[in-house]
Amino acid sequence: MAEMSAGQMSFAHVKKKRVLRWRNVAVQGAIAWLALMLVIAILADRLAPYDYAALDLRHRLAAPIGFGGHVSHLFGTDELGRDLLARLLISIRMSLFIAFGATLIGACLGTTLGFLAAHFRGWVEQVILACVDFQASMPFLVLALAVLAFVGNSLLLFVALLGLHGWERYARVTRALAMSANTQGYVVAVRQLGAGPCRLYLRHILPNIASTLIVTMTLAFPDIILLESGLSFLGLGVQPPLTSLGNMVGYGRDYLTRAPWILVPSSLIISLTTLSISLVGDWLRDRMDKTLS
Amino acid sequence: MTRFIMTRVARAVLTIAMVVTFAFVVLRASGDPARAMLSPETSADAVEAFRKAWGLDAPLWVQYVKYLLAVVHGDLGQSMRDGRTAATVVAERIPVTLMLTAPALALNLLLGIPAGIYAALKRDSFTDRLVMMVTVAGFTVPSFVLGLVLVLAFAVELPWFPSGGAGSVRHMVLPVVTLGLGGAAVLARFTRSAMLEVLGQAYIRTASAKGVPWRRVVTGHALPNAAIPVLTIVGLMVGNLIAGTVLVESVFSWPGIGSLLVVSVVSRDLAVVQCILLLVAAAMIATNLAVDLLYGMFDPRLRDTRSAGGA
Repeated sequence: MAEMSAGQMSFAHVKKKRVLRWRNVAVQGAIAWLALMLVIAILADRLAPYDYAALDLRHRLAAPIGFGGHVSHLFGTDELGRDLLARLLISIRMSLFIAFGATLIGACLGTTLGFLAAHFRGWVEQVILACVDFQASMPFLVLALAVLAFVGNSLLLFVALLGLHGWERYARVTRALAMSANTQGYVVAVRQLGAGPCRLYLRHILPNIASTLIVTMTLAFPDIILLESGLSFLGLGVQPPLTSLGNMVGYGRDYLTRAPWILVPSSLIISLTTLSISLVGDWLRDRMDKTLS
Repeated sequence: MTRFIMTRVARAVLTIAMVVTFAFVVLRASGDPARAMLSPETSADAVEAFRKAWGLDAPLWVQYVKYLLAVVHGDLGQSMRDGRTAATVVAERIPVTLMLTAPALALNLLLGIPAGIYAALKRDSFTDRLVMMVTVAGFTVPSFVLGLVLVLAFAVELPWFPSGGAGSVRHMVLPVVTLGLGGAAVLARFTRSAMLEVLGQAYIRTASAKGVPWRRVVTGHALPNAAIPVLTIVGLMVGNLIAGTVLVESVFSWPGIGSLLVVSVVSRDLAVVQCILLLVAAAMIATNLAVDLLYGMFDPRLRDTRSAGGA
């Protein structure tokens, strides 16, 4: 740095600052968007102007307001005259609910298996690692399709299935971190004091590796949204009369030219939400944990 | 080297065994295929006859052993929908799907890697920002949405390409572009960060300091070292490509493996789904093996030492 002239230094400094500021704006925007989605998800049924399944057969395929539509259906209607704003709000709730549920299941399962592998080592670890390799080597969408079609489809099962996506990431991370924690002073001390494995892992090691796990969760969350919407798009995810964002894109595709307003808002929301979570996840990773990349 | 190959083969066999077992457990134990295949009004006798005909009346473990033996002998069962062997049904779709995936993979590599390298070399420039912005869009927009946008733009508004079906080169354009762009975005981001990592290393500074021209530093020192992480991600991307194919084929009604999988799943055609699962597993194993061999090409250090448990 010493041989850099003052001018050069300030130039680099300003440039870096500008990049950072730009990034801050993007992250703030992303957080605002996610907050909005969360509010919508919580209050969906109060915000919705109609019941999401209510038919209005006289206004089928009505355009949204501003495109020749009427105030009574701000976002237009679909082929059965169901209000698209109401459906959109409920879909956001459904998609977020599924993604939250699935992420939590994946995190719990993966973390538990990671701890088990780190604690028992030996063949337990080998079996878990073999499963991790298997999971990582098969495209999950294909596995999920097989399970869904043959086990049938209920909402709970669907959430549980998506929960199986990504568990291997938590298992890998947890195993590695727990193994290194096991050699550290605080763990040795707690063990010497006579703490059992449950207490040791849940009360002492878990809080210490939580930041990494949270970052892993934010990185897995968009994947789950994309997976859910992809499966629902194929007609194999959330089943009618329930609705999700992918579902709306799926049936909107049949009206692509006649009524593009069915699929455009839901497509945009999927994209913006995954984008926002990725931005926030990257930002969190840089702030909380630089070891993940 | 022998040990290396042996471990790889053992892993491959283990993965295949897990897929076979997975298929059996999920597909057989989860419900009664006879009830699912036949209409609800079918008489109990007919259901029983169907069960007998397909060997569904035996105890589960007998079915499992029989199934394993059959798979080992290359007999993957018959499609319950049209009675032909599942292998035939799947095999005739393979070239159709490869017509999409091969050009799409080429597009991924030819677009993603140069874009990533360029962005890394011009770090923080306008081009870098632009490339990064486009790539963010590329992997947050789901492939089926991108496909529909392309249909709307280049099949409906501008009637340049057909919106679906197969038959000519023009039919291939939109699905290949849809598949190619998403992967290219992921690859570009990853290549960029791998390059940046390498460019920050001491040996790059040493090379520049001793007067090696920058072009030589990049091609001779930076690129070969960045190739290894990029290669890893290319291996993983093949999996994404397969998953993407399922969605994209559905968007463009492309009669390949992906559409076949969706149709078979909807009609609970056990044998065909199993066959596709095995095919996908085999494709993934082949990819991983290829990636492992290529590692040795790019990094001489890995040639001999990489004996046990890499991946």
